[in-house]
Order: sequence, then C-alpha cells, then structure tokens
Amino acid sequence: MSFAVVLIAAGLAALLTAVLAGLLVLAERYLVTYGVCRIDVNAGARTIEREGGEPLLAALKAEGIFIPSACGGRGTCAYCKVRIVEGGGPVGPTELPLLTEQEVGDNVRISCQCKVRNDLRIVIPEELFLVREYRGVVERIRDLTHDIKELRIRLIAPQAIEFVPGQYVQLEAPAYGDNPEPVYRAYSISSPPSDDAHVELIVRLVPGGICTTWVFTMLREGDEVAFNGPYGEFRLSEDAAREMVWIAGGSGMAPFWSILRHMKESSIARKCTYFLGAVGRRDLFFVDELKRLADELPWFRFVPALSGQDAGEWDGQRGLITEVVDRNLTGGADTEAYLCGSAGMIDASIKVLRAKGIPEERIYYDKFN
Amino acid sequence: MKQSPADKRITERMAPGVLCREGFLGADRRPLAEILDADRSAVVGLGVTHEQLADRLDEVLRKAVAALGTPVEIRPGLMAVFHEGMGRIPCPWGHGIFPKGEVELADERTGETLRFTPLSVHLIGAHGFYQGCGSCYRIDPESLVRIFGLSD
Repeated sequence: MSFAVVLIAAGLAALLTAVLAGLLVLAERYLVTYGVCRIDVNAGARTIEREGGEPLLAALKAEGIFIPSACGGRGTCAYCKVRIVEGGGPVGPTELPLLTEQEVGDNVRISCQCKVRNDLRIVIPEELFLVREYRGVVERIRDLTHDIKELRIRLIAPQAIEFVPGQYVQLEAPAYGDNPEPVYRAYSISSPPSDDAHVELIVRLVPGGICTTWVFTMLREGDEVAFNGPYGEFRLSEDAAREMVWIAGGSGMAPFWSILRHMKESSIARKCTYFLGAVGRRDLFFVDELKRLADELPWFRFVPALSGQDAGEWDGQRGLITEVVDRNLTGGADTEAYLCGSAGMIDASIKVLRAKGIPEERIYYDKFN
Repeated sequence: MKQSPADKRITERMAPGVLCREGFLGADRRPLAEILDADRSAVVGLGVTHEQLADRLDEVLRKAVAALGTPVEIRPGLMAVFHEGMGRIPCPWGHGIFPKGEVELADERTGETLRFTPLSVHLIGAHGFYQGCGSCYRIDPESLVRIFGLSD
C-alpha cells in the first residue's frame, strides 16, 4: 500500500469521526429527550425537577442554587465542583484534566460539563443555599492606585445583602468584544455588612484579564451590574481571646477593610496587627484611614511596609512583608493569622508564621489562585 | 495543512475570550501544528531544547515570585519583576491549571524585554508552544537564547 493511500485512509477516518461526533451532538440537542429528571440536593434538603439535557450547573442556577463558577460554564475554571453521589455516570474527558485522582474517587464532578440525563443525588456545601443573584447600579468608581479601583454598587434587587465580613461575591462581566459569553470573577466584599444596601469591591487590573479589563475600560458610574454571592469561608474565627495578625497588600486588603470596620462598629476589641505590604508609595491606599483607626482603636496596630528601592522618604517599615513580619512579630503560640493575597506571598508568609510558633491550623488564608 | 480534531479543539480554546481575553494565537492564522513545527525547527537550529528554555524561565519565575512584586536581579543586568494576578488559567491542552500573574524580564544591557506567565513556562516545556505571532505573550525562541546567553 502506498504512503498516499495510507494518508487518504487516515484522513477519511478522521473526517468520518468528526462527522459522527457532530451528528451525536446534534442528535443529543434535537432528538434525544431525557424527560423530567429529579435532582436531590443534600439528602432531601432541596429537590428540584428539570427537563433533562442541560448541564447540571445551569439546572441548579435556574432553580436558584448558585455554584461558584468563573468561566461561565465553559469547563475551564474548575470552580463549579459538586459531589454527585448517585446517577453521575462516568467522568467525561473534559472533566478529567480538572479533577485530582482523589476527587474522581470521591465522585466530585465539574458541574458545567456534566449533563442531567437521569435522576441525580448531589451534595453541595450548605452555605450555597444562601447564595443569591443580585442586580445593582455602580454608584461610584474611584481610583485607589494606578492599577486598583474601588467599585461601590447600590443594590437594586434584592435591595439588601447579608454576609459575613471576609466573604466574596462573583461579579459578572458581560459579553463584549472578543469575549463571547459572560464570565464571573470573585472579589472580596470590602464594605462592612452594616451597609447592607451596598457592596464595595476592590479590583486590581490583571493584564489580559477579561473581567478587570471590562471594569477598567468599559464600566461607568450609573451602569447596571450583576453579581452573585456571598461565598467563602474566610472570616474571623470564634476564638475571641486570641490575638490576631493580618497580612495583605494590594487588593488583598479588601476582606480586612470589611472586617476591621465591622469590628469597630460591633465593638469587637480583639488585639490585632495588620501588616500591609506594597512595593512603592504608588501602590498604597487607605493608609491615612488605617492610621486614624490605629490611633482611635487601642486594640488595632497598623504596620505598612514598602519593599521597593524607590520608596524615597518613608518613615515606615522597609523590606518584603515577610521580613517585616519576621522582625516585628514576637511570640505566636497563642496567635491567629489571617492572610489574603497571591500564592507566593501566602506561602512565604506561612513559613515565617510557622517559624514564629503559630500552628498551621490557626493560619487562615484566602489565596488569589 | 489539515487540522486533526484534537488540534481543532485546542485551537478553539486558544481563541480570544475563551480562556483569556486576547487568546494565545494573536494574528497568527497558521494551523497549530504549523506553528509548533516552525518553533520546533527554530529551537533545534539554535541547539537548545524546549525543556532547557522552559527551565530557564521557570528559574526566573521562582525568583520573581519570591520577591513579592519587587524587582529582582537574575544575573548582572537581567532584572525580573512578578506582577500578581487573581485567579487561575487552564492549559489549552487540558494539562492542569496555572496561577495568573506575569513576569516582566528586562535585559538592561540590550534593552530587550519579554513578558511571560506561569502558563507560558508550561506551554513551552510540555508542548513546545511559544504562542502565535502577535500574541501578547509570544516569545521567540531566539529571544530566549539571546537573553539567557545560551548561544555563547
């Protein structure tokens, strides 16, 4: 058999495979009906019935159950994991790269890639029942630094939100330009829960980022936006007696800005030191406000630090934030630590904190990644 | 060149707005296999391997990440700084998920600069993919060889 014949045969086989795959997709979309499928959520806590054929994520969303998802159901972010304890069928090829072996063993699935074809029993974190979809109007956009903006959003519907300081919402960036579908990105709420008619978010520009580019170049005051939430476990522990150390810089300040104002309003007087790291002066924001709070609140200590060579005249601490923590933190066995920021900063900080005697189980963090 | 179904699927994921706003191909209209072939030939011609180049970038990435946003000297005259980014981005081949953020690498002697991400390092090392011409994170293998002094 000549090489040309082999090539032609291989090409025909590939073409046939592609045609069959296309036919299967069309058949599933237009011909196959699965009837009404029942989805049991958390052993009877909620039972929903949906016409089969749609992705599980979409089915749950349509019934008011929001699973965190950043990519809008395109199977790329791997956030929308749920446990399907019955009826899930085999794990699909688009799910496998996004799951660990342990997760596959635990029946964890990527809910946007997993279609409802029969009755299912699933398990989700209880707190997701409290997540709602919100619409609001951007009341104020202000530049906090050269690459960080603060959004203040007034809620339209529902008109109020209940959350625990430290939690986050997922802001929807609508389809625009080359971005064909809405995407969702997580931002910690920086406003205190007492102001329940608003949420404030601190957004740092990510080069090439779909959502942050939209916020920085297209979003205007008066525009209507959508988000869902609240999500997340990052919050103060209930151990009120322990001293706290907070470490964050840049947009990582957001949850602490909410927590600190909530503590002040609620007279929660836990001893706390906040280490704020930045490279240069142009990366700092809310410093005057934080210094005023440190003067006013006897339990709050504020330690800003700059790591760049171009800090100029600066009467604060100098060096990487991990070095500053190392120099200034004494003792630690009875301390709790709260961190928010990039994986690199958090991993480096954990090493320092552990060396200071803070046990790992009392180091709480919210990693950007 | 005819695209295989697998390459077609990967190319679709590289389009603007799918995994990131600008995508991975820039203005490059060549099929994926052709882009990979051209860079493979260039790398072989330069006497290096994809893995070698990815290792050098990985070394820079680690040092830059450890400096927490502060510029760090990789060797005299070669400076790197890591700009953190929220979130993660998956490999278009489906081989894992990588943190966002980018490294800016500048050779102060020549004025040559390049930008790359943790995902770029993986794409070069594991797939020999340097991104399409005109993509914001396209890195010519020749640039890497020059910046890292691998041709000496």
